[in-house]
Amino acid sequence: MSIEVAIFLLRLLAGISLVAFLLTLFAVIMRQMRQSEALLKLSAEPQGYLLREDEPAERHALRPPLTLGRAGSNSIVVDDAFASALHAQISESEGKLWLEDCQSRNGTRLNGEPIGGRTILADGDIIGIGKWRYRLALSTRE
Amino acid sequence: MRVDLTQSTAPPSGLHSGKGFRWALLALACGFVLAGYTTLALLRPGDPALWSGFCLWLLCAAGGAFLLELKLPARDPYLYPAVMLLSGWGLLAIERLAPAFAERQAIWLVPAMASMLLAAIFPQALRWLRGYRYVLLTLALALLLATIAVGTNPSGFEAAPRLWLGLGGIYFQPAEAMKVILVAFFASYLAEQSATMRALLGKARAGMNLSPRLLGPILLMWLLALLILLWQRDLGTAMLIFIVFMLLLYVASGDWRIIAAAVMLVLLAAFAAYFLFDLVQLRVDIWVDPWADADGRAYQIVQSLMAFAAGGIFGSGLGMGAPGYIPVAHSDFIFAAIAEEWGLLGIITLVSCYGLLAWRGFAIALQRAGSAFGQLLAVGLTLMLVAQALMIMAGVLKLLPLTGLTLPFISYGGSSLLVSFFMVGILLRLSASER
Repeated sequence: MSIEVAIFLLRLLAGISLVAFLLTLFAVIMRQMRQSEALLKLSAEPQGYLLREDEPAERHALRPPLTLGRAGSNSIVVDDAFASALHAQISESEGKLWLEDCQSRNGTRLNGEPIGGRTILADGDIIGIGKWRYRLALSTRE
Repeated sequence: MRVDLTQSTAPPSGLHSGKGFRWALLALACGFVLAGYTTLALLRPGDPALWSGFCLWLLCAAGGAFLLELKLPARDPYLYPAVMLLSGWGLLAIERLAPAFAERQAIWLVPAMASMLLAAIFPQALRWLRGYRYVLLTLALALLLATIAVGTNPSGFEAAPRLWLGLGGIYFQPAEAMKVILVAFFASYLAEQSATMRALLGKARAGMNLSPRLLGPILLMWLLALLILLWQRDLGTAMLIFIVFMLLLYVASGDWRIIAAAVMLVLLAAFAAYFLFDLVQLRVDIWVDPWADADGRAYQIVQSLMAFAAGGIFGSGLGMGAPGYIPVAHSDFIFAAIAEEWGLLGIITLVSCYGLLAWRGFAIALQRAGSAFGQLLAVGLTLMLVAQALMIMAGVLKLLPLTGLTLPFISYGGSSLLVSFFMVGILLRLSASER
């Protein structure tokens, strides 16, 4: 084997190791990004909980936006004859939590009063849909 | 929303389980460097001495990997292979370009690796950087001052800037040590003051100015360092420290006006330097139009551009190009030499390695959400390494005026190698620290 051929083969080898190094690097980056994304989703602590007043075992983590209603597609399914399919929703904007009635047939109550438009929620508020009542318990934030 | 990053990034076996990847990367780096050295050995049959460089590098790479695996299993797994590829590539390129310097550089790799391992394995290094910051900074300033009095230049030219301290044939550049000590100083100081600083900046929006009481000490230290560097005409390092300092201040305060002020100050400083320093004037002139004096003052940059053009996509092949036309190619212009012999492919890999360094460095800073010092230190060291690489790479490509900096891990220069490895050691330590 002449030196030229050997050098060419070595050059090929060097090029291949460079490409392999790059590909491994990008595989690593892709993998890490997917992992950290999944981890972030997992670790995102809920801002608080919605506790059902008359059914203490029922507790929903509060991760806005979430919807309440009778349909099974809602984040919180309210199985009450007076609840509409999509009854109300809780969203977050400007650092506040908002409760909004989604044009339900029988309306949504906040601390016993029917709400009009968007209303700011506070710790300890009681959301009423039909006969069901949920108490909002926010986690203490730093 | 409170997201506890300290917890989320330390799953029992999640993020740091890329064991296969780290060994694959290291093995590929070894294969690449070995292929290069074999090529050189074939081209220079009568020179078995070149293998000593490879053997030293291999010993360092293997020893470092083994010790890190043993002592610091929870470290960031990707920094080390990337850095080893860069340093091996650097040795190889120096062996190709200036065989006379290669042995010296290979020997510097040993203390460099030792400093990295010391910083990574012993938590005391981190504590000392924080606890003795005034002592360290004073010492570094004293050394810098000493270069003014008794500084030398190993190249022996009378006109060359005397940035080195020599002792028994070993030369060290105190400006390099200054980089890491200043970052540690800024990080520890800003970490202590960050609460006050945010409060004051909040008031500053209502019409108050930044309190001199707050910024006084850092500004003073920073000015001292800059003055000495300017006196030394080590303008590249001065610029680098300035930029990193402003970015750190921005990271600590979160105030965008600092960036605006930094851009203005940089422009102002460049403008002033253009008229004050002949060197800067020359650098800017050949940056604007190198072709006007392509055989004279702009010879180096023009040859560098030619090297990039000659390299093409796959490069001319190791030992087949003519990077020897670039004066002192093994130092500042090593990036151009690599571009010629390894082509675009090599450059992409090289830049990806620095990109990886930046990404992992900032990720380490994010992981350490609990400690402001650790965060700022990780950000500062990463910025220092990456900004330096960017400045010299852009300079060699004529995207920016030239700033005589070394390309970290690759260029010839023992002090630069030592300090760069030390910085990576600290980053590794931060990535694995007890929470």
